[in-house]
Amino acid sequence: MRRVSNFLFPALGGLCTLLACAVFLGLVFVIAQRGLPAMSWTFITEQIRQVGAEGGIFYNLVGTLILITAALLVSAPVAVGLALTHTVYLRNAAAKSRLGLFLYTLNGIPSIVFGIFGLIVFVNYFGWGKSWLTGGILLAIMILPTVTVALIERIKALPAKYVEAATGLGLRRSQVIWSVILPQSWGGLVTGSLLGLARAAGETAPIMFTATIFAGATLPHGIRESPVLSLPYHIFILAQDSFDPAVGAKLWGSALVLLALVFALSIVALPFRLRLHDEAHG
Amino acid sequence: MKIFASVFAFLVIASFAQADVLKINGSTTVNLPAAEGAEILRAEKKMDIQVDTQGGSSGGISALGDGQVQVGMSSKPVSDDDRAKYPNVKFNPVHIGEDAVAMIVSKDVWDRGVKALTKQQIQDLYESKIKNWNEVGGPDERVVFFNKEPGRGTWEVFAHWAYGDPKKAPQVSLPEVGGNEETRNKVGSTRGAISQLSSSWADGKKVFALGIKTESGEVLQPTPDNIATHKYPMSRPLFLITNGEPQGEAKVFVDFMLSPQGQELVKKHGYLALDQLKTTAP
Amino acid sequence: MLPLATRGRAPSLTKSASFAFSALALLTLATLVLIFLVQSLPVWRQEGLGYITGTKWFYRANIFGALPMIYGTIVVAFIALLLAAPIGIGAAVFTSEFLPQRMRLAVKITIELLAGVPSVVYGLLGILFLRNWIYDLFARFEPLSGDTLLTAGVLLGVMILPTVMTLADDALRGVPADQRRAARSLGLNATETVLGVALPQAKRGLIAALLLGLGRALGETIAVFLVVGRQDNNLPENIFSVHAWLEAGQTLSTKLGGSETNIAYGGSLHWAAMVGLALILMAMVLAVTMAGAWQRRTNDAASL
Repeated sequence: MRRVSNFLFPALGGLCTLLACAVFLGLVFVIAQRGLPAMSWTFITEQIRQVGAEGGIFYNLVGTLILITAALLVSAPVAVGLALTHTVYLRNAAAKSRLGLFLYTLNGIPSIVFGIFGLIVFVNYFGWGKSWLTGGILLAIMILPTVTVALIERIKALPAKYVEAATGLGLRRSQVIWSVILPQSWGGLVTGSLLGLARAAGETAPIMFTATIFAGATLPHGIRESPVLSLPYHIFILAQDSFDPAVGAKLWGSALVLLALVFALSIVALPFRLRLHDEAHG
Repeated sequence: MKIFASVFAFLVIASFAQADVLKINGSTTVNLPAAEGAEILRAEKKMDIQVDTQGGSSGGISALGDGQVQVGMSSKPVSDDDRAKYPNVKFNPVHIGEDAVAMIVSKDVWDRGVKALTKQQIQDLYESKIKNWNEVGGPDERVVFFNKEPGRGTWEVFAHWAYGDPKKAPQVSLPEVGGNEETRNKVGSTRGAISQLSSSWADGKKVFALGIKTESGEVLQPTPDNIATHKYPMSRPLFLITNGEPQGEAKVFVDFMLSPQGQELVKKHGYLALDQLKTTAP
Repeated sequence: MLPLATRGRAPSLTKSASFAFSALALLTLATLVLIFLVQSLPVWRQEGLGYITGTKWFYRANIFGALPMIYGTIVVAFIALLLAAPIGIGAAVFTSEFLPQRMRLAVKITIELLAGVPSVVYGLLGILFLRNWIYDLFARFEPLSGDTLLTAGVLLGVMILPTVMTLADDALRGVPADQRRAARSLGLNATETVLGVALPQAKRGLIAALLLGLGRALGETIAVFLVVGRQDNNLPENIFSVHAWLEAGQTLSTKLGGSETNIAYGGSLHWAAMVGLALILMAMVLAVTMAGAWQRRTNDAASL
């Protein structure tokens, strides 16, 4: 009996694992199979024509890149500020855990809620209409916990002797931060940012009311009334509103490009993330 | 730091310099020829045109009313309610073509005998009073009515015809579909399905357009002739709406859509161009 | 945490900036909650508790009841968890307890990538494949179409699988190695060690993993939007029958992501009702996330 269960139990677990991996491979296979026919140099460098039936997705890609760059630039300083506050400046354990709770809360908020928030505050109250900057800000808020936590974990993993040595040399606290702590934990910021951006690149809900349109935008000019095109919104609209079977391959091609972008960002972050994981758990 | 400041300053200043962007929003039906027209104008005349389809026809009208766009696209007439909501806006609809809304059914329903329905029958189907297709001469299949989501011009045209006034339409709870592609897709893949759809999308392969049976027994198919003479009851005008007479960039665009080249686009997407509408039409 | 102390000077620029940015982040969240509370006030005043318990939503008639959507949100998330929990935990147990290092790495990478797949891509696959599969698979129960709560739930289950699996893996790794060694030295085989020692010890972390997965499932919009049917007011007579899950439905998030948001915008009761939905959704997700955070904190003292 024991021998049977000793075999059965891991076998079931193995089945689950196989299932999870199979889903992933199946997903990638389907998208690649249907999207590859659409892939060509022109697909990526041309812009949409004929409501998606012709041309390429150049400005969609550009738009998504603009959005995630903006998200990076907005979230990075705030993440550093939060991380420093948590690890260096706050002495009280209760305060630290409350900050942690804040990050947890923020992380759980559904992305559509951010979209509605952006609609109220930026599109209407500020009067910006649809703007790439709104998209960047909302995405930044969304990925803030990811970036911050990665940085915090990295800072906490710093050997104490570095800080001790620096303090021993007479450096002020802010000097220690800028010359020792931040340079050494920069990897955490990079990891967290890449992971956050991978998520941000694929998000539709925060940007569909606030930052993106389907056709006609190229590069933004200013802040107000400057939407961008984007890959996820493009796919979302085409899934419902395309008018031609010819659009089919383009649709999958767009999905493939988006997937490739997200995977690229995740893969670059992977070594750091796995190392961080192992360090945290021994 | 300095670079950051100057880039920021540039963006702020640029945001005040109102670039001549022509913004268009509204119906996904009108979007097809309009977006293509915008593409041509962008390429030939280097115009900056943004086209979006947020909120369908209603979205187009309210965006125009709120001053967010210069041209609204609509596949339904501007209602008295709309005019009342925006008393300072002189809605100026420009007729650029004609389309029709058809009741479409899935292949199994069409093949098994249902090719036309009376208005009463359609009302009863909508209100779920008829639950099985065999009650109207079809197969023994449950009726699955996919309703167009709120805001779509297609729904308003349907409600206007079936109940005289969209406001008089009874409140129903049916599964919803959004864009034309989604409608065709879902009706085509579901047994016993019926929905409202632009007649140019009924391809006769996946989904089939029903004729309307009048009291006298005459069956009106949504053919170009019947639509042009308004014999087919659910024909609807395609409008580009401006605030007052079209001016500047908006005038260029509207004039283009009325030109032979623009009208060709209208025809190309399956709608009727203005010259095809008989002058005796009411 | 770090052995740093000030020397009684005025706060440095770094400190001020850090506090300022932190305050900004906190303020943003507070503003968000406040705005939602204020903007949804009209509907609370008008309908009171009936807004949550009301079973009919007819915006054109100014009737706003959120119950069918709350029901939809819960059912879809529940189905997702039903799928993701056993598979995720099973896979996590297998990879962390039974797999050799190299293969464990391969699986981890696969799951990390799976976690990144955007929801619109899932939606695409759902609309083109999953809904037809479900429609055919359950044909004898006569679903109306392939757009059902079940379809959405299954899609969501796949989406939260990586989250559950990764967090479960974390929880299992948190059990000290010597506990396992002790069990083995007592003669327990690998399975018994896992079942008798590792899993119980990791229980809190596993529950946290499920709660966090649930939180994510509750808030998902785009993928669910494309396959759930978006049918309002469709509360079943018997919520425990198979038929109930094969009905089309509407969730809080799909309503918010739909066309009514654009239609409703303005100062009307309709808009207040929409914002109210967002508030209810946030409250639900917050409750679950808090519970997950609580579990995690008491499990691993070294965590945030």
